[in-house]
Amino acid sequence: MKVQVWDGFIRGFHWLLLVTFAGLWYTGGNIDFIDQHELLGLFMLALLLTRIMWGFVGSESARFSTFVKGPVSVWRYLRDKSATTPLTHNPIGAWSVIALLTLLLAQALTGLFTDDAIFYQGPLASWVDNDVNRLLTRYHKQIIDGILILVAIHIVAIFVYRIRGTALTWTMVSGKRQTSEPLAQPKLVHGAWGYGLLAVNCLWIYLWLG
Amino acid sequence: MTLSRTLCFIATLSLCLSLLNTAQANPFTDAEDAVKYRQQALSMMRDNFGIMSAMARGDRDYDAEQFKQRAKAVYHLSYIPWDAFQGVGERVTENSDALPVIWENWSDFESRISNFQQAVQELVEAADSGNMREIRPKFMTVARNCQQCHQGYRAD
Ligand code: HEC
Ligand code: HEM
Repeated sequence: MKVQVWDGFIRGFHWLLLVTFAGLWYTGGNIDFIDQHELLGLFMLALLLTRIMWGFVGSESARFSTFVKGPVSVWRYLRDKSATTPLTHNPIGAWSVIALLTLLLAQALTGLFTDDAIFYQGPLASWVDNDVNRLLTRYHKQIIDGILILVAIHIVAIFVYRIRGTALTWTMVSGKRQTSEPLAQPKLVHGAWGYGLLAVNCLWIYLWLG
Repeated sequence: MTLSRTLCFIATLSLCLSLLNTAQANPFTDAEDAVKYRQQALSMMRDNFGIMSAMARGDRDYDAEQFKQRAKAVYHLSYIPWDAFQGVGERVTENSDALPVIWENWSDFESRISNFQQAVQELVEAADSGNMREIRPKFMTVARNCQQCHQGYRAD
């Protein structure tokens, strides 16, 4: 049985996130690319905000309320992994999604307040005083390590699923999930709404901070 | 001028120079003063550099005269902070972000200083051209000098 779990926006978001993140990682800390880093960082901010909004108003499968579970469910899942078939993320995976989004958001937000002490100040650097700039710049250089660790775990997990016979990567391309267990088709919202939202977020962020 | 007066003049001059020399190696008696002094010089450097940066990156209209003035200011300032890293300035104080490895690798630190000064001098010369295309690479070389020294010798 094949179920369409991911709408067009989630799939596009995921790959845009990957490409944008790679660009940010490459340009970060390189003074020749600071302007590109800023632009990509603002786009990242728009992507993250849109994903968060989609987590409340988007497709059922993308909503935080669908896949984020409390500690009891996490515990139950850990004790018996076959007891439930989650529509999308399992309870552990769900928390790693939340952690990744949170760290990425923190990374993008601290970026706005950076001051490299040489020739660059983030667009909101003047909002706070020097000590705070210093601190947030330091966080900006530290949080990235946490993100990279989560990304590594994410990739390892996908490999493990692959070895056990579940091709998650392709699901993020086609949006379809192959499953032997009965799974109700989630209510999907057309991805175009997500891209519309993304365009609006890009616009105001660029006009304000660009 | 008689020979004895000439000799006397030379002797006085060399005495003055030697006094100046010893004084120069140790201009401060208080470590915090030394730290404040070098930080002020460095932050003035940054202020001037920041304006040049805005012009080099197109955030601000290029004004050749102004750019030249700023480049010269950075050039002069590039000679100022360093003696405050010597003498009492060799101690790490609470308000300083200087890392102790500076004094372990003093000769490397010194060679970074002279490379930096050289790069700024080339920037000043390029600034005379009034041509941003010629200036930009020199400007980035200076910025790279700032950044690399900070990576090794200044706390985040
Ligand atoms: C040879 C090494 C070196 C070079 C080159 C260098 N710096 Fe620094 N800079 C330092 C060190 C060391 C400190 C920390 C000083 C302290 O806090 O005691 C510092 C501190 C600073 C500070 C902070 C001052 C404060 O108020 O705490 C600024 C701003 C700064 N540098 C700007 C620059 C700029 C701009 C350039 C290039 C145009 C530059 N620096 C080149 C070593 C260097
Ligand atoms: C999620 C989005 C972002 C990611 C993943 C990211 C990533 C990075 C990385 C990996 C570095 C190098 C850190 C180091 O040298 O140790 C860096 C540096 C930097 N980033 Fe970002 N960044 C993001 C958003 C932003 C934004 C929005 C801005 C500003 C508008 C920004 C401004 C800077 C600056 C100024 C530096 C250099 C700091 C310094 O060397 O002093 N970043 N970033």
